[in-house]
Amino acid sequence: MEYLGEWTGIASFGQGLIALAFGASFVSLVAFLCGWQTVGRKAFYVHATSTFATIALIFVLFGAHRYEFEYIWKHLNNEMPMRFIFSAFWGGQEGGFLLWMFWHNVLGLVLLQTDSKWHNTVLATVAAIELFLTSMLLGVYFGNFQLGLDPFLLLRDAPSNAGLPWTARADYLTAFPMFQDGQGLNPLLQNYWMTIHPPTLFLGFASTSIPFAYALAGLADRTDRSWMKPALRWSIFGIGILGTGILMGGAWAYEALSFGGFWAWDPVENSSLVPWLTLVAGAHLLLINRNRKKPMALFSTYYFLLISFLLVLYSTFLTKSGILGDTSVHSFVDSGILPQLLVYVLSFVALAHFMLLQSATWKSVFGAILALLLIVAMKGYVVEAIGVFLGMLVVTSVKAYRTDFERTEEEESIWSREFWMFVGSLLFLVSAAHITWQTSLPVLNRFLEPLSPLLAQWGESWDSQFLLDLSKHNLAPGTDLDQTYHLVQVPLAVLIMAVMGLAQWLKYKSTNIKTVAKNLFYATALSAIGTGTLIWAYPFEWWELPRVALLFTALFAVFSNADYILRMARGKWKQWGSPVAHVGFGLVIFGAVLSTSQKDIISQNQIGDISTLNEELNNREDLLIMEGDTLSMGPYFVSYRDRYQEGIHVKFRMDYFEKAPHTYQPGDVVFFDGMVFEAKETHEASPQFSEDLEDHWMFIPFPNERQAKTAQLWKAGVPGERLFTLEPRIQLNEQMGNAPEPDTKHWLHRDLYTHIKWGRVSPPETDEEGWMGGRTHTMQVGDSMLVGHTLLTVDSLRAVLDDEKPLRGLLQKDLAIAACISLKNKERDTPHQPMYIVRDSTVIPDLYEADDYGIKMRIETFDPQAETLEMTVWEHESVRRDFVVMQASIFPLINVLWLGCILMAIGTSMAVWSRWKTDTKPRIHA
Amino acid sequence: MKRSHIISLLLVAALIGSFIATFTSTSRSVNFAEATQFAGEECKVSGTLNTAFPVEYNPEVDPTKTVFHMFDATGASKRVVLNQPKPTGLENSESIDLYGSVVGEEFHATEMLMKCPSKYNENNHVLMGEDLQTEG
Repeated sequence: MEYLGEWTGIASFGQGLIALAFGASFVSLVAFLCGWQTVGRKAFYVHATSTFATIALIFVLFGAHRYEFEYIWKHLNNEMPMRFIFSAFWGGQEGGFLLWMFWHNVLGLVLLQTDSKWHNTVLATVAAIELFLTSMLLGVYFGNFQLGLDPFLLLRDAPSNAGLPWTARADYLTAFPMFQDGQGLNPLLQNYWMTIHPPTLFLGFASTSIPFAYALAGLADRTDRSWMKPALRWSIFGIGILGTGILMGGAWAYEALSFGGFWAWDPVENSSLVPWLTLVAGAHLLLINRNRKKPMALFSTYYFLLISFLLVLYSTFLTKSGILGDTSVHSFVDSGILPQLLVYVLSFVALAHFMLLQSATWKSVFGAILALLLIVAMKGYVVEAIGVFLGMLVVTSVKAYRTDFERTEEEESIWSREFWMFVGSLLFLVSAAHITWQTSLPVLNRFLEPLSPLLAQWGESWDSQFLLDLSKHNLAPGTDLDQTYHLVQVPLAVLIMAVMGLAQWLKYKSTNIKTVAKNLFYATALSAIGTGTLIWAYPFEWWELPRVALLFTALFAVFSNADYILRMARGKWKQWGSPVAHVGFGLVIFGAVLSTSQKDIISQNQIGDISTLNEELNNREDLLIMEGDTLSMGPYFVSYRDRYQEGIHVKFRMDYFEKAPHTYQPGDVVFFDGMVFEAKETHEASPQFSEDLEDHWMFIPFPNERQAKTAQLWKAGVPGERLFTLEPRIQLNEQMGNAPEPDTKHWLHRDLYTHIKWGRVSPPETDEEGWMGGRTHTMQVGDSMLVGHTLLTVDSLRAVLDDEKPLRGLLQKDLAIAACISLKNKERDTPHQPMYIVRDSTVIPDLYEADDYGIKMRIETFDPQAETLEMTVWEHESVRRDFVVMQASIFPLINVLWLGCILMAIGTSMAVWSRWKTDTKPRIHA
Repeated sequence: MKRSHIISLLLVAALIGSFIATFTSTSRSVNFAEATQFAGEECKVSGTLNTAFPVEYNPEVDPTKTVFHMFDATGASKRVVLNQPKPTGLENSESIDLYGSVVGEEFHATEMLMKCPSKYNENNHVLMGEDLQTEG
C-alpha cells in the first residue's frame, strides 16, 4: 500500500545513512587494527560524512514539521518557536546519541590530521566507540533484543502502535488531526540553557574517549610513553569542556528549575561529575609521568584515564537505561535499550582490563572466562554472570598492578610536587568512588535481588536488621544531603583544596620546605582573615566546622594560586594555565559552599495566624500573599501585584519595596507578643522591638476602648520606594504537569531568588451565578475572618423576638437565633443577620446574601452551650482575591561560583594552548 | 613508594567506612504497617495515590499542608499529611515515595518524590484513545 503524503523514501534514505555509517565504522576499525591506514582513514571519512548527513536530514525533518516520523512527532509541535529546534533535536535519546557522535566524529577528524606512531591504534579505538554509538541508532530487533533506536522510525511503524486500525489507512496523515501537529518538546527544555548545555556536556563526554584511546595505545606498546603528551592535552581539554558543561547544567537548574539551587546531588548530575573527577586525577598523573625517565604510579595513570571514559559510558547507562527508576526526580524512560547499553559498557570495561594485563597467559585466561560468562549470561543468569565478571575485574586489576607495570622503588620526597599531585589524585578518586557508590545503589539492588532469600535467612538467624534491610533490595540514597554526600565529600574537598594551594609552590623532585613556608605566608594569612570575616558575617553553627574549614582551604587555594601568578609567573603567560584554572576551581567550591550553606530563606513565616498554624507541621518556608497585599519579608516588603499569561507561562508580578523605618508618634498603640503598648514619644522603630521597649514604649495592662480599637501589630518598617519587580512563573505543561520557574534578581554580591510554590493558573471553579465553593467555619462571638476584601465579624447572637417573626417570614412556633454580623470593607456595615431556624425540631436552612459584598452565608448548626456556630460562607468570583504561596531566598556571593567557572574554562584553555605550542615545537623545527 | 601506599590504604579505609555509613544514612524502606511499628522514626514508604479520597489543599488555611491518602506496596491505605504545598501533578502521579514518620493514625511526610507518567507512555495512551479508533 502507498501511504499518502508520507516521506517514506526519506525514512529509508535515513536508515540507509545510518547503516552506511555503521558499516563504515566497522571497516575503519578493522582497517586501523590491521594497519591499513589509507583504508581506515577513507572509511572513517565515509562514516563521518554519513553521520553528519543523518544529523542534517533530521534537522530538515524538524524544519519541515514531518510528523509522520515518531521522533519529530514526539519532540516538536506547530507552536514551538524555531529557536528551540536544537533543544528539540537533542530532546530524545536518539538525538542525544547523535549529538555525542557528532562531537566524536569532529574529534576523530582532528585526530586524523595528526601523524604519529599512535595514529592507527588511537583511531581504532575511536572507530570502535563510533561502531557502538552508531549501533544505538540501528533500530533492529533480534527477537526480544532491541538493537538501537531508529530516529527515522515512522509513527505507524512504532511498536506501540502496531496493529492499530489507523496504521492501515493510506490517508492517515490527512484523515486525523492528531498527525498534523506533534506532541511538542517538554517545555522545561524550551530554554536557552538547553541549547548550549547539552552540546558542551557531550563534547566533554566525547573528549574523554581520546585519553582513553591513547592509554589503550600506550598499553599495547609499553616501551614508549610518548603517548602521554597528546593524551595530556586532550585530558586538559576534556576537563575544561566537561567542567563547563556540568556547571552549565547547574546554571540551567538554578535559572529554570525550582528546586532552589544549582546542585542537588541528583544521579544525573552525579554521573556527569564523576568522570570529570577521575579525568582531573588522570591528567595530574600524566603531568608527573610525561617527562620522567622512571615512571611513578604508572598503573594509576593508565587506570584513571581508562575509567574516566568507562564512567562516561556508565553514566549513559544509568541515565538512559531507566535503571535509576524512582531514585531521581528526573523522569527516566526505559526505552528497551538497557541490554544493549549494558553490553556496550561491559565490552569496553572488559577491553580496558584485558589491555591492562601484560602476559599472554593471563590475557587468554581472561578471554576464556569472559567467553564462558557470556554463555552463562545467554542462558539467563545475567546478574550472576555480571557479578562474577566484576570479581574478575578486581583480580585482574590487582594482578596488573602488582606485576605488569614498570615501577620505581625509591621514595618520592615528601616535599616534591609529584608526591602531592599523587595524593590529590587519590583524593579525587575517593570522592568519585563515593559519589558513584551512592548513585549506584539502584544498580546494587539488582545484584541483591537474587541474594534476597539468603540474606533474609541470615538476617533472621543472626537477628540482624542490617541484613534484613539488604534482603529487601530497595536501597536508596538518603534524602539528607548532609548525611549522604557532604559528610564524606566536604572533608575530602578540604584536603583537595589544601593540596591544590600547597602543590603549586612545590617543585618537582624536591623543594626547600622553608622557602615554601615563606611563600605560602601571604596566602595563609589572607585566607585566615577571609575566613574570620565570614564567621563574623554569617551565622555558622558549630557543626558546620568542616564547612568553615572548606571555605578556609578553598580561599587558601585561591590566594596561593593567585599569588603564584603574581610573583612567580608574572609575564610568563605559558605558566598561567594551571594556576588560573586552580583559582577558578577554588572559587567554584568557595561560591558553591557559601551560597548554599548560607542560603537565607527570607520568606519564612515570622508571624501568622497561630490558630491555624500547626507548629509541628508547618515548614515555615513559604509565604502566602494575597493579591494587592504588601507583606514584610526579610529586608524587603513584597507585594503581589497581579498575574498575566504570556505564551505557555503564567507570570506573577511580585513587587519588591525597600523597607523604610516606621516612625511612631506619641499615642500610637501597638500589639507585641500579645501585649499592648503605647508610644511615649516620636521615634523611629529599630529592627527589634526589644531595643525600643524601654525608652519609647509604655506597657498598657488594661487598654481602654480607644487603645483597643487603634492598636496595630508592631512593625519595624513601612514599605518605601519600589525597588524592582520579579516575575516568577508557572509553565503550563500538559505533558509533564505545570512546572514553576523562578525569577531571580542578580546583584554582584548576591541573588534574590523567588519562586511560586502554589498559584492559580486559571480562574477558580464557580456555579452558573459565579459563586465559588463554600467553606464551613466554626465561629464564636467576636471571631472575624477575611472573605475576599471584606472582614466578616460575628458581633453578637440574639434570639429572634416573637413580634419580628412575621416580618422575617417566620411562624410563631419557630425558634430562631439571629447572628449579628458586621461586614467591613472600607466602612463598617451592620447588621447583617443570618438566622438559624428550628421549626418542629427540624432545621430550616436560611441562606443570607450580602450582594454588595459578594458574600452569602448560612448557619449550619448552633451549639447553645458552647455558643459556637458553624457557618458556611460562599464567595462570589467578582470579589475573589487571588493569592500565591511563594518562597524567596537570598544566595550570597553566588557570582563567585560563576566567576570561578569562567576562570576554570579560561585556565584550561590556556593550558591546552601552551602545551600544544610546546609539544609541537620540536616537530616544526625538525 | 611506601609512603603513598600508606596514604592509599588510609584513603581506601575511609572509603569503605563511608560505604558502610551509607547503610545507616539511607532511609529505611517500609510499608505502612512497619512504619507504624517504628512510629516516630524516619522512614520511606512507596506507593500510589488512593483516588477514593480527595487531595485536600487549602492554601488560605495553611499554605504548607497537603492531605491525601496513599496505598503502600501491600495495598494498605493511610492518610498522609505532607508538610509542603501541593506538588503539581500529584493527582496524575504513577508512584509516590514519602519520607517521614507515622504520628498517631497519620503518616507525616516531610519530603516526597513522585514519578509522573512519562511523556512516552502518555503519547501511546493518546494514540490508542477510543476517539481515534472509532473515527478510523
